[in-house]
Amino acid sequence: MASLGAVAAPSRSRRESVAQAIILSGPAIFLAAFCIMPLVLLVLLSVAHHDEGTLWAPAFELTQYRQLAEPTFLRVIGFSLFLAATSAVATLTIAFPAAYFISRMRRRAQVAWLVFILGALSLSEVLIVFAVQVLLSTSGVLVKTLVDLGVMASAHSLYPNFGAVLTCLVYLVLPYVVLFLYPAVSRLDEEMPQAAATMGASPIRTFFLVTMPLMRGPLVSAAALVVIFTISSYLTPLVLGRPETWTVGVHLSNTAMEAGDVPLAAAQAVLLVAAIIGLLALVRWIGRDRSARA
Amino acid sequence: MFGLELDRLSKQYPGHLAVDDVSLSIPHGQFVCFLGPSGCGKTTLMRMIAGLEEPTSGTISLNGRDITQEPPNVRKFGMVFQSLALFPHLSVGENIAFSLRLQGRDARVRRERVAELLKLVRLPGFEKRAISELSGGQRQRVAIARALAQEPQEYLLDEPFSALDAKLREEMQAELRQLQAELKITTILVTHDQREAMTLADSIVVMGDGRIQQQGAPADIYRAPANRFVANFVGLSNLLSVEVLDHQTVQLGARVLKVASVADPRTAGQAMLSIRPENVRLADPATGLEDDNVIAGRVTSVRDMGSNLEVILECDGGRLLTVVHARDWRGAGAGDVAHIWLPQDYCRVLAA
Repeated sequence: MASLGAVAAPSRSRRESVAQAIILSGPAIFLAAFCIMPLVLLVLLSVAHHDEGTLWAPAFELTQYRQLAEPTFLRVIGFSLFLAATSAVATLTIAFPAAYFISRMRRRAQVAWLVFILGALSLSEVLIVFAVQVLLSTSGVLVKTLVDLGVMASAHSLYPNFGAVLTCLVYLVLPYVVLFLYPAVSRLDEEMPQAAATMGASPIRTFFLVTMPLMRGPLVSAAALVVIFTISSYLTPLVLGRPETWTVGVHLSNTAMEAGDVPLAAAQAVLLVAAIIGLLALVRWIGRDRSARA
Repeated sequence: MFGLELDRLSKQYPGHLAVDDVSLSIPHGQFVCFLGPSGCGKTTLMRMIAGLEEPTSGTISLNGRDITQEPPNVRKFGMVFQSLALFPHLSVGENIAFSLRLQGRDARVRRERVAELLKLVRLPGFEKRAISELSGGQRQRVAIARALAQEPQEYLLDEPFSALDAKLREEMQAELRQLQAELKITTILVTHDQREAMTLADSIVVMGDGRIQQQGAPADIYRAPANRFVANFVGLSNLLSVEVLDHQTVQLGARVLKVASVADPRTAGQAMLSIRPENVRLADPATGLEDDNVIAGRVTSVRDMGSNLEVILECDGGRLLTVVHARDWRGAGAGDVAHIWLPQDYCRVLAA
């Protein structure tokens, strides 16, 4: 009997693995063609030789990577990280309470809010960025209103600056983050905060001591979502920011399109991809289940 | 008054009245059980006491002070939730120390109190464990200890033992009773298990349809159920339809039976005779039907439970269940006619 079982088991697992291979081959081919191949080409390009005439020539040199260590570029990296972190904090500060309160509403109100948020997602990024530009301009509604209210002494444009870039980025990513947090927040056991209340915790302390820690995993993932979105942002800082508020994405584009240094741009892109992979690893590490510790 | 006072408390949900005009006094230090089937409003009533639900009307006062509008974190009644609601991101010790941390007690005091409470619930040395490492019974005890840490004025437990197996449940019940007796803390326990209520409570509040059906000491409720609902829900009852003749006699089919005096004026005319299975006796056939309160019935089934036998008989007015000690059983089988004695003192008349 034992030997029969031993024979039967592998044949079934082999059949399963064949089925698995067939099912997964589609995504695998897609991934190889549109993600891994371009990435390989990118890496090859980043070690190629920069040539003024032909843009690049196949080679293996680390000149570009050495150039990445230049202070100007390091400052760009630093600023991009700072912008991403600030955006993440600002977005979560708005999105988490929003998702929480939406999940506590009546069913019909919840649906209305979610439809509204999905509606905001249907607007294209380009449209939003230029709409914000118009809104913040000297003749925009916002400036006029502020002047009328006496908050602003005289009409002047509210961009380009860091605040404008941050505001627009938060606006762009906010619907994603609310929708991302909503399922997790909906599943939150209502009796956890209630238990905290019966032990004397005010609503605010309950929020920080119970609700937030219970939501750590989803919050960390949401923060990563914002960081990845922001760090590679291009249009928003370009339109609403000054050169000193440009992100890696803008510099990368300039390097390739204006300076014509395609290998250097490739090296910058490789660094960006590496940074994002590193970030995802960090998120996995932070978000691991600590309640299962020994 | 010293204690908890509920005055005409109601809770209306859209399309459903969960708690309907409940007034109740719970003296300090008592152990009270809210007993009733699911959906009877017992949990809603407890949640209103804790401050987790706002009453639609009525007031709650503690020691004479109106606390109806006080939020739960001001009342600070320790509560053990049915789901236990232990915080998974905190260790056992941190869970128990949660209320102490909120009070700003220093680490040494917290440590001592946690150790003391863990000893009380017989989990000494469990401070560092994660909640996920505990068994159901251990989690239960941690929840009980956590709600006690703040030394609450009222200790509320919502079906705390429902997830446990029978043996562990009985152990935990005994421990809780002992704990309550030691700490002399006013305790309200919500349960649908009448055995649990009978063995634990000083006083039982039987609830049905959002109302208090009967309130009193467990033995009184068992001996003298106030209505059909209570007779059926607390223990087993035989209910036979009868016609009330006067305050001490009823007519069952062709027989006139003597009953414990009929006090409720609503029971005039058609009514129900209620008698507990263990009070129904099989009469010696020799006595015949001439004796008081003896009726004839046909045995429909006999179930041997070991020390006892459960016998179901068919008689005028309905089905009758009786429990007979194995020693007294004369071996009648299905289809046999038996003489059944319904002792007068145990025959109670309830409104139909």
